[in-house]
Amino acid sequence: MNICTWISRAYRREKKEAVPFRILFAEFKKSLELNNRILDLIADANDKLSGDYIFDGAYIQATCRELSDLMRQLIGTINLLTRHKYSGLYSSFHLIEGEISALLHGQVLGQVKDLVLSYRDISRDLIDSVGGKNAHIAEIGKLTGIRIPYGFAITTAAFSMFLAENNLQDDILAVRKQWRQREIAAEEAAQKLQHFILDADVPPKLEKEILASAKRMARRYNYSTPCFAVRSSAIGEDESSSFAGQYLSRLNISLDELPQAYKEVLASLFAPEALEYRLEMDFRTHEIMMAVACQLMIPARASGVMYTYDPVRPERETMIVNSAWGLGAPIVAGEVPSDHFILDRQPPNEVLESQIVSKDEAVFLQGSHGMGVDRVAEDLRTAPSLTDQQLRELARIGIQLEKYFKRPQDIEFAVDQEDKIIILQARQLRLQQQREPRASDLADLGNRYPVLLRGRGIAAMEGVATGPAWVSAAGRALNDFPMGGILVARHATPQLARVIQRAAGFITDIGATTGHLATVAREFRVPALFNTENGTEVIADGEVITLDTESLTVYKGAVQELQYYAIQEEPIEEMYEYRLLRRVLKKIEPLNLTDPAADNFTPRACRTYHDLTRFVHEKAVETIIDLNFYHAHHKDSQAGQLLWEYPLDLILIDVGGGIEGEHSEGVRPEQISSVPMQALLRGMSYPGMWDMAPAGVDFSSFMSSLTRTTSVRSTAPEDVGRNLAVVSAEYTNINFRLGYHYTVIDAFISENILDNHIYFRFSGGVTETIRRSRRTRLLARILSYYDFLCEVHGDIVVGRLKKTDRERMLHRLFLLGLLVGFTRQLDIKMVSEETIDIFFNQIKAVMDKEYGI
Amino acid sequence: MESEKTSILILDDEPIVGKRLQPSLERKGYEVEVFTAGSEAMARLAQRRFDIVITDLVMEGMDGMQVLTAVKEQYPETEVIVITGYATMEKVRETFNRGGFDFLAKPFKLGEIVEVIARAVAAQKSGCPHKFQGLMSADTD
Repeated sequence: MNICTWISRAYRREKKEAVPFRILFAEFKKSLELNNRILDLIADANDKLSGDYIFDGAYIQATCRELSDLMRQLIGTINLLTRHKYSGLYSSFHLIEGEISALLHGQVLGQVKDLVLSYRDISRDLIDSVGGKNAHIAEIGKLTGIRIPYGFAITTAAFSMFLAENNLQDDILAVRKQWRQREIAAEEAAQKLQHFILDADVPPKLEKEILASAKRMARRYNYSTPCFAVRSSAIGEDESSSFAGQYLSRLNISLDELPQAYKEVLASLFAPEALEYRLEMDFRTHEIMMAVACQLMIPARASGVMYTYDPVRPERETMIVNSAWGLGAPIVAGEVPSDHFILDRQPPNEVLESQIVSKDEAVFLQGSHGMGVDRVAEDLRTAPSLTDQQLRELARIGIQLEKYFKRPQDIEFAVDQEDKIIILQARQLRLQQQREPRASDLADLGNRYPVLLRGRGIAAMEGVATGPAWVSAAGRALNDFPMGGILVARHATPQLARVIQRAAGFITDIGATTGHLATVAREFRVPALFNTENGTEVIADGEVITLDTESLTVYKGAVQELQYYAIQEEPIEEMYEYRLLRRVLKKIEPLNLTDPAADNFTPRACRTYHDLTRFVHEKAVETIIDLNFYHAHHKDSQAGQLLWEYPLDLILIDVGGGIEGEHSEGVRPEQISSVPMQALLRGMSYPGMWDMAPAGVDFSSFMSSLTRTTSVRSTAPEDVGRNLAVVSAEYTNINFRLGYHYTVIDAFISENILDNHIYFRFSGGVTETIRRSRRTRLLARILSYYDFLCEVHGDIVVGRLKKTDRERMLHRLFLLGLLVGFTRQLDIKMVSEETIDIFFNQIKAVMDKEYGI
Repeated sequence: MESEKTSILILDDEPIVGKRLQPSLERKGYEVEVFTAGSEAMARLAQRRFDIVITDLVMEGMDGMQVLTAVKEQYPETEVIVITGYATMEKVRETFNRGGFDFLAKPFKLGEIVEVIARAVAAQKSGCPHKFQGLMSADTD
């Protein structure tokens, strides 16, 4: 009889019969298995974003399909276990599944519902809501030492609202279809589409919000008669797919004119060039959305444009600046003569050449009348529009942006009334070269440049970096790390992440790609090569080197071919499949439900697949405990609470020979006759393990911390969750939630070697990434050392051990017992990288002492 | 110069596969041509020989097995590597039975295909293709 038939029968008999435990337990184990498969799939999909894998659209489709399928089964199991107590999970699931399916069909779902968002509230993650330009400038504004204009984004949610309230979607689709089928020309399509937008009304609610935000911003920064710049910020319009000049920017807009300007900018989404461009770039219909940037205009004293490379002769290693008095628009458009400066790219960025022209007229902001052309004061006409100091400051910012975005930059800037430099826009600069650099030119680099290191190490972040090597040594302060340097260090310690904004690259002798530094390097796109074994020995401090992670090579000197190649290649992160995978993972991977005791721990609150799995797992454990311990007692099982000196709320369910004697008052440890459970509990209660604290650095002090007597009840009860162990004479299945960690152990131990197995799984933890990654590495190291086959998916650690004799299996269970007690608060304890070695040795010392292994 | 390089033809109906593989393989000194339409790839193969052909299995309008068979018929020396997201034991066997060099399930790491290509090149040079090496390793997996 399976659980379905049982339940339908039970309902007919008005729920009088208790479900046989073995059936419940089978269903419970099925739910655990589904839970694990889902989390592993999620972690693996996340891995694909590292750039290491070749994957395609079919993979994304298949993964989402499989995940949805497993999710549906998982929700099925909990509803079978609980007699449909959580059928609300289905509606949350269908909602998420629907969103994922919409994404797979090419729709872009703005992540926010806000119609407008201030720059302070925008991060790179919101790029699908605020568009490339807004996300980009807001991100620049967060870099140290760079100023940007005050502004806010009018989001894609506003755009959707604009289309919906004016019933424009179908008309737009119809015209686009006509055009794509070549029934009408691009110009005609563009004209029709633009009219749809211009003839429509800005929805009143949206208009109100735009005006309110604009007024609030003007008030906060004391602009009595504010003027605004309204710029396009389309999806896909950013530094990598530059539509420069194809969309509209409206300058000098008064408050009253904002709604009209907003419409005009929206309409430019359908300019003929933009239509053609998106077709070429393989933009899907639903990716075509427009967010808009609304910024306070800066009453600029001078303005200009900087290129961080000479686009025509990049090999000259110079930067170019053009500037003039007043606002920048006429300079960008080339309508007025401008001063021309050439600077050395290398610090201290000397001015190599300057051509100062006569600047008789300029455009200035003129109060409520907006912009106007004015004569420039006599004495300023032939004076340079930028001081040497300002030029050097610009060069510094230019290099900073270039390092950060990994592309040569085309930067628009203004100098305000206080002579401060403000960055208005920065985008990728396309370099013109004699001929396109070709990958095949790089095949024999090794014959042309001295190689310091080759074929060793693993790339934590792909890329090419050139710069002076800065070899880390004891006592050397990271504060002295130079802008654009390549950090060479023995260990990939998380502290090194501090220089991430200045570093061009990282090279370490030792380090794991799952570590914190690797995570940060990927986030900031800084090329990183770990595990080179002897990088610190073969690379000399101060020497200029070129790191190429793809060929695992470090060259002496600046390898220009590589640099030019690297900055021309299409960034992997911008390919359609990467954009899509990132988007679907946002519906799958984040965990919002962290606290089972919180009011919002409900089916309705589940917003991602991860939330759903978390909820189901918690409830599955709870249900097994409730059914067996608090309520119906099965004939085929008995249950009792463990009486233990530590605050572990553990319910034991015995399915045969696992507990001895009378236990109506609770189960004393010595009553446990389950062989695997005995071994585990012995490890868990090993002196010091449950309450171990981090101590000094030397080994002896650790031994003392091990044996130190500790306060037994030092753990707050809320840190300990519902815990379940199903036991028989030879079997144990454990589900622990300790603090925020989940531990699952499944073990069968008998005299028959072939039947023996141990499965261990550890996950969760809400501390910062650094400590989590230390914990992962520590566990993986311990498990591997003691013969477990170890797998790591993100921060999930799985260990498996099979076909080993009884004695050794029991030793390993004792070890897992140690780990359970010990990892309980491990995140908090893993304060430094050294703790990995220290804790490893500590565990090993106990194992040596107990078993001599 | 051209003739000294190992030539590779890549056929996959999803552009991203070629887009990712081409620059990486060219950097390793291979000469690479990429196709997303089976018919175009076949037309190119009619014009010239490639040392190695990498083909997807399930594509719109063309079955990778057809490509494999056609290539082996025309150029027995050419090694064919099959890549697919729909890996089954049956397809692996069929690949080897038809003379394919190896079989790779998508997604794969860049390093994995580079390694398979290197083995194919070595097999070609030594003149004794290790036809069944891949089959055995696939069987034990």
